[in-house]
Amino acid sequence: MMTLMMSGFALLMIVPFIWMISTSFKSPADVFKYPIQWIPASLNWEHHIKVWSGSDSFVTYYLNSLKISLISMAGAVFLSAFAAYGFARIQFKGREPLFLVYLSMMMVPPQVLFVPKFLMFEWAGIYNTHWALILPGMFTIFGVFMLRQFFLSVPAEISEAAFIDGAGHFRIFFRLVLPLAKPALATLAIIDFSWHWNDYENALVFLLDKDLYTVPLGLQNFILENNVDYNGMMAAATAGIIPMILVFLIGQRYIIQGVAGSAVKG
Amino acid sequence: MNKSWMKRQSRLGYLFIGPNMLGVLLFFIIPAAYSFYLMFTDYRFMDPDTNFVGLANIRRMLGDEIFYVALRNTFIFLLAVPVSILLSFLVAVALNKSVYLQKTLRALYFMPYITSGVAIAFVWMLLFQPTSGPINGFLQGIGIAHPPGWLSTTESSMYAIDIIWIWFMLGYNMIIYLAALQEIPEELLEAARIDGARPLQTLLRIIWPLVSPTTFLLLITGLIMTIKNFGIIQAITQGGPGNSTTVLSLFIYQNAFRYYEMGYAAAISWALFVIIMIFTVLQWLGQKRWVHY
Repeated sequence: MMTLMMSGFALLMIVPFIWMISTSFKSPADVFKYPIQWIPASLNWEHHIKVWSGSDSFVTYYLNSLKISLISMAGAVFLSAFAAYGFARIQFKGREPLFLVYLSMMMVPPQVLFVPKFLMFEWAGIYNTHWALILPGMFTIFGVFMLRQFFLSVPAEISEAAFIDGAGHFRIFFRLVLPLAKPALATLAIIDFSWHWNDYENALVFLLDKDLYTVPLGLQNFILENNVDYNGMMAAATAGIIPMILVFLIGQRYIIQGVAGSAVKG
Repeated sequence: MNKSWMKRQSRLGYLFIGPNMLGVLLFFIIPAAYSFYLMFTDYRFMDPDTNFVGLANIRRMLGDEIFYVALRNTFIFLLAVPVSILLSFLVAVALNKSVYLQKTLRALYFMPYITSGVAIAFVWMLLFQPTSGPINGFLQGIGIAHPPGWLSTTESSMYAIDIIWIWFMLGYNMIIYLAALQEIPEELLEAARIDGARPLQTLLRIIWPLVSPTTFLLLITGLIMTIKNFGIIQAITQGGPGNSTTVLSLFIYQNAFRYYEMGYAAAISWALFVIIMIFTVLQWLGQKRWVHY
């Protein structure tokens, strides 16, 4: 009984997705036919072909998004791990106040930073390049915070033993702590990747040229230019969503763990 | 510990946090400081003549009609947070029991949260089509002759956005609740059962109070997350029709990058900061009162 009810409600949650995919295969005349045709009378592939070919192709958007997301993610994970180890395991002057500054920066809404960043990037000549997304993307305060929590949970005895054996912080970090932190690193990597992949706001502010567009911007562009082609819109939306669904299916365990862990402890 | 060892530690510490610190300085601290300065200027993009105007931007904001419309819309937007939390609590309780397909169901509920906000914005835009869309088709099908105009009328547009946002956040809240529910000791529920508590009583008198710290946390973090968001609204309505879906965060974006009123935009963005700070202080106070580790 409960299963049935919860399945029904779950279906309600994913019905927009089902409708989206189904509509992307319909003929224009069938889009708003009521009762809804869940399974199109005939499979029209033309809308998907339109999305993936032509001058503003999703191939370009995918490659741009992939480049930005992967480089940002790799940088963010590595740099956060380094800083998190510093905050968690090394006693240094000003550590607590510095960490407070980090935390207070989480309060600053992105809107405060948009205008100054825009002017800075303009000045540095990286406005309207992928660097405007990649460089800031490599720094995440959330990442430092999350990994610090994890490093604090690694028993101190492990590194103390290594200390006595004459290992320095670098050896301990690379040989001991990082390998132990693999699940936490994977969690951060997947969450960070999904942020960058779905990031619409930053791309909207910092990118201008169509050939630089990421998937969310490309999707918006496609829809602005084809705003009466509902089938095409849904084919484009499908293209925008599929990669994250794949990432989710692969990394489900990590994503859920990371989301739950961060909020309960944060 | 001797002094030179401490010094060496400090150097090492800075070496470890240095690279990240540099980025935080460049992309967070300096821009924040710069924005604070801009708030007191009449800076417009490409305009070489920038003057220090003192509190003029703040005064302008307080006299700006659209600012109050945006503030009101922001509060309507925030209504989605408690509704989504309540729904997700019920879903989490149901899915915490041994239900068939438990894992698959959890994944399905979580799906909206992981997918791109822009893509779902466009899907909902079509679903909400007032004349021929499937939602109104369904409503007319069950006998509602005049279904709402959803995103197309000024009265209903913000609530239509709320519906999308509730749907979007539900899975996230559910996952956090599931984590909290698993912390509840089984004996407690067992004891309630033995004492003859009905399921509804257990839910209201035992489970709900026990997860109250989580509820509080979700409420505050949800409010903060929602108040910052403008992408989903920018993608669907660009603040329209009229200004009926212009929320504060979108209003800032429009002033800065549509009208190039960057000094004014900076002032409003600090107003947003003040609201976020209030929520953060509440959370900090709340943690002391509610959250037991």
